[in-house]
Amino acid sequence: MAKQVVRPSDKQPDLPIDKIVLTEKPDDEVIEMDVLFVGGGPAGLAGAIELARLIKRDNENGGSLGDVEIALLEKAETLGEHCLSGAVVNPRALRELFPDLTDSDFPLGNPVPKDSVYFLTPGGATRLPTPPTMHNKGNYVASISEITRWMGEKAEELGVNVFPGFPAAALLVEDDRVLGVRTTPTGLDRDGGETANFMPAADITAKVTALAEGCRGMLSQAYQQWQKISSENPQIYALGVKELWETTIPLRSVIHTMGWPLPRDAFGGSFMYPLSENVVALGLVVGLDYRQANLDVHGMLQGLKEHSLFERYLAGGELVEWGAKTIPEGGYYSVPSRNHGDGVLLLGDSIGLVDVPSLKGIHYAMQSGIYAAKTIFEALKAGDTSASALSDYDRKLKNSYVMKDLKKTRNIRLGYKDGFIAGTIKAGLATVTGGAFPGGRIAMEPDADVEKVVGGATPTATGRLSVSKVDGVFKSGNSTRDTIPEHLQAGDDIDQATAEMYVNMCPAHVYEWVDGGLRINAPNCVDCKATDVLGPRWSPREGGSGPKYKRM
Amino acid sequence: MAKILAVLEQRDGALKKVSGEILAAARKIADSIDASVDAIAIGPAGLESDLNGLAADKCTFVSSDSLQLYQADLYASAVEATASSGGYRAIVIPATAMGKDLGPRIAARLKCPLVADVTAVADGELTLVRPVYAGKAMSTVKVTAGTAVVTVRPNAFEAAGSGNASVEKIELPDTAVKRVTTAQVKAPENKSLDVSEASIVVSGGRGLKEADNFKLIEELAAAFGGEAAVGASRAVVDAGWRPHSEQVGQTGKVVSPDLYVAVGISGAIQHLAGMRTSKVIVAVNRDKDAPIFGVADYGIVGDLFEILPVLTEKIAKITAG
Amino acid sequence: MGDQLKIAVLVKRVPDSEARIKIDSGSGGIDPASVKFVVNPYDEYAVEEALALKEKAGEGEVVVISLGADSSQETLRSALAMGADRGVLLKTENAPTDPFAAAQILAAELEDGGFDLILSGKLAIDDYHHATGIIVAELLGLPGVSAASGLTVESGKGSAEREIEGGVEVVDFQLPAVVTCDKGLNEPRYPALKGIMMAKKKPLEVKDVTPADSGVEVVGLDLPPARPEGRIVGEGVDGVAPLIAALQQEAKVL
Repeated sequence: MAKQVVRPSDKQPDLPIDKIVLTEKPDDEVIEMDVLFVGGGPAGLAGAIELARLIKRDNENGGSLGDVEIALLEKAETLGEHCLSGAVVNPRALRELFPDLTDSDFPLGNPVPKDSVYFLTPGGATRLPTPPTMHNKGNYVASISEITRWMGEKAEELGVNVFPGFPAAALLVEDDRVLGVRTTPTGLDRDGGETANFMPAADITAKVTALAEGCRGMLSQAYQQWQKISSENPQIYALGVKELWETTIPLRSVIHTMGWPLPRDAFGGSFMYPLSENVVALGLVVGLDYRQANLDVHGMLQGLKEHSLFERYLAGGELVEWGAKTIPEGGYYSVPSRNHGDGVLLLGDSIGLVDVPSLKGIHYAMQSGIYAAKTIFEALKAGDTSASALSDYDRKLKNSYVMKDLKKTRNIRLGYKDGFIAGTIKAGLATVTGGAFPGGRIAMEPDADVEKVVGGATPTATGRLSVSKVDGVFKSGNSTRDTIPEHLQAGDDIDQATAEMYVNMCPAHVYEWVDGGLRINAPNCVDCKATDVLGPRWSPREGGSGPKYKRM
Repeated sequence: MAKILAVLEQRDGALKKVSGEILAAARKIADSIDASVDAIAIGPAGLESDLNGLAADKCTFVSSDSLQLYQADLYASAVEATASSGGYRAIVIPATAMGKDLGPRIAARLKCPLVADVTAVADGELTLVRPVYAGKAMSTVKVTAGTAVVTVRPNAFEAAGSGNASVEKIELPDTAVKRVTTAQVKAPENKSLDVSEASIVVSGGRGLKEADNFKLIEELAAAFGGEAAVGASRAVVDAGWRPHSEQVGQTGKVVSPDLYVAVGISGAIQHLAGMRTSKVIVAVNRDKDAPIFGVADYGIVGDLFEILPVLTEKIAKITAG
Repeated sequence: MGDQLKIAVLVKRVPDSEARIKIDSGSGGIDPASVKFVVNPYDEYAVEEALALKEKAGEGEVVVISLGADSSQETLRSALAMGADRGVLLKTENAPTDPFAAAQILAAELEDGGFDLILSGKLAIDDYHHATGIIVAELLGLPGVSAASGLTVESGKGSAEREIEGGVEVVDFQLPAVVTCDKGLNEPRYPALKGIMMAKKKPLEVKDVTPADSGVEVVGLDLPPARPEGRIVGEGVDGVAPLIAALQQEAKVL
């Protein structure tokens, strides 16, 4: 009998572009800004800061721009609460953004003490030579939540209008031009009726709208589809589940692992970083092109913690925070061919500026923000924010170290699509040849088109270090109002095999198969977006919903 | 010799239970500096019979029929007259609705600091412990000089036994100015409390067997005298027994009341996530291995249909005072 | 007094109620790292009530006043975003831990303000004093009502409801007055984007203040003792009596 397979795309609804790209006129109460950044992550904040500074300096030098109103929308209640990363941060872009500050002024934690890479088996760990792409000398272990909170303060000092708690739910357009965005309304009940606290959606327009929504941003996806912007490869993704633990003994190394507990046909690995003297960040990241339908990243992370390499630090410690997030992994060939348009730019993770072999994206995101700011500044000076005026952004990006870095490692992640061993060999060759191997582009298919074999147990753990998914959601700080309208849209007639794939995939226990049907516990959602890649479509909820990460 | 003044509380002409606790707390504070304890009671003439044999050196009784209800300014003037007569290092007042209103008035009139909601007396002179940050930390405060007003949380001290305080009856000082008039005390409205706001939550689960049996939960909640809300587990909400607004749990409301009573709830993790930060958790369940007992402070194993009526009756008696 | 209502609202910056409290061994206070600060929730009721009363009166001014470090400007901006007209920060890096000392500073600011009504939360969720507003009332010689869960103001007169043990106290008073606000009074509004925009341009005055010495000193801050292990107190109806005893004597919740 042939193995039963599920192909996620068979059951995935299309992105409802007609509800996201709106041609109706902005509301009468529209808020008119000059420049609007959508998303308070490193890309959007770096862009807002750099632009505010360029304008300030220009005005001081007798420039004619005068007051330029810059706004930044963030869907989390407070900046940083939806930001999650490993993270080992390369300070390069921060230094460019704040030339008057030194590294010690930045909210960066420990300089990386040393790198250790291991290949894991269930009972053992073999130390591997650190691949050249993974040397972290000069980099810092840091929390992206803390970095973005700090950047938010800097942006406000420079006069940027920072609006946390306002998710953007739709693009306002006219012909091909992006005019601005419409926020989500607040205070709707489960059936869409207005409660006493109802606040209608607000429209915000700007000469330039910079989409810095992060991975799998809904407006960015809609814009690209609407404008038929493609990339050589489709974007592919990984899901990372991360925990912060207070430990009783300090960790003195940045640890990465490959191998167990991942099956050989999945790409990914784990990390454990010393965030501060007694706090470690650890997590497991797995490509969503995995082949076993029941693969459960959260579950595997629980098993991983019982491996002696981790257990020796975590035993007697305490879970402080938990979170999950999807990462764009396609690299060079998945960056869209055009990242500007009439009145619009796309930044950071929204366009996949992540280098998987070095596990870096934060400084690329910031760098894209800096280029966006420079481009917007020139466009404002010239009084022209058309697509051609903003095209300089793509030129800047293409000629920068960002795209050069991605190009160098362009096939390393892609080589793993056929499994771990073939991937490792190809990765080695790709690295020693500076990206020249294997010659051309390794073609990829969207994660949702990769068939998954039904069955296959995922290692689960129930030991004292284990955290259930629901406990994890609790530790993410998620206290989403329970009566908000459902924000996840599943396909029709979800069968049990597909539903169980969702159940295992989702780290936040959003999905359940109950009485022959799919049940969606939407308030549990921590906005990791994995569901949007493989399953039900995600859309933003009212402001302040979702997790409340403090040090992720 | 230093003195401590204990302010007693009455309702409807009878001394409230908390007054005994105030005398005990005052005694404990007095012991730290070798002081004596005076008491003061304010109320209608009928209160006098309750003031015999209190555990204090003496008791001043400010008596007037205009003091039947708590009249903020008049009560403050009455305490002020005695307190300002000198020598008091601490004025100890219950942290009840009355005391939380009266305490700051005394502090203002004596121009002295206020230490609120004390739950314990620490070692050292006039050193007091009080919960802060919603009980997530304990602050230790020392009165270093002069007088301080100290409000004491009800139920934190065991009531003092009897003593032989003499009672001195005095009139309300005629300088008292009434700026706020308590017109009446109404019975509380019979509105249903929201689970996320109530200080007590009584929740029922599948162990109740059918929707109609939820009246047992409603009766127990009612026995707490309008302070308790009814909650429900996800199983019974999904079964349509109870409205969604009552659901406690990860996908329901996250609650953190002073007292959480889980009846017939096994304790699925998703329920526990919604209530485990409650200050005190009581579980009633037939299955002694139910996970709910893992987070409960106090458990009763057995048939809820037998246990609940008895529990409800006892709680109602205590609430009625 | 015509239709105009001039209202002052006292607001305080406090750690979010969800914040995980850690003690900083250096300062002896709480470790502010990764703690989110918010407007004291009871003060939000006060701001909402002030805005609603002003809207009903048709004309007037709502002034929000905070005592604290420079970071309290953020708290004032939040209140301005809800709709208050201007803010005053009484700035000190050493905000008093004693409510009398705090009230002295606030009363001095309010004294000549010509306010018809002064509102605040009934308590701040950091120090739990439940005192400052009433001390302010006494220092100013004004009627003071604490913990109002209902309030009506009309033609220079006010009436409030206060929840007390087993009942509701109804109190009457004349304006000007000080009222501290409890849950149940109203449902505070969310700030709208427009409101936040406008808040940035509203006046916010910063005045340096120096708290007086106080006769009390905070000598320690500790985490509460760990929760004791739970236990089964009994089986069947025989468990009821020991349960009641435990709730009264140990847990002290009855």
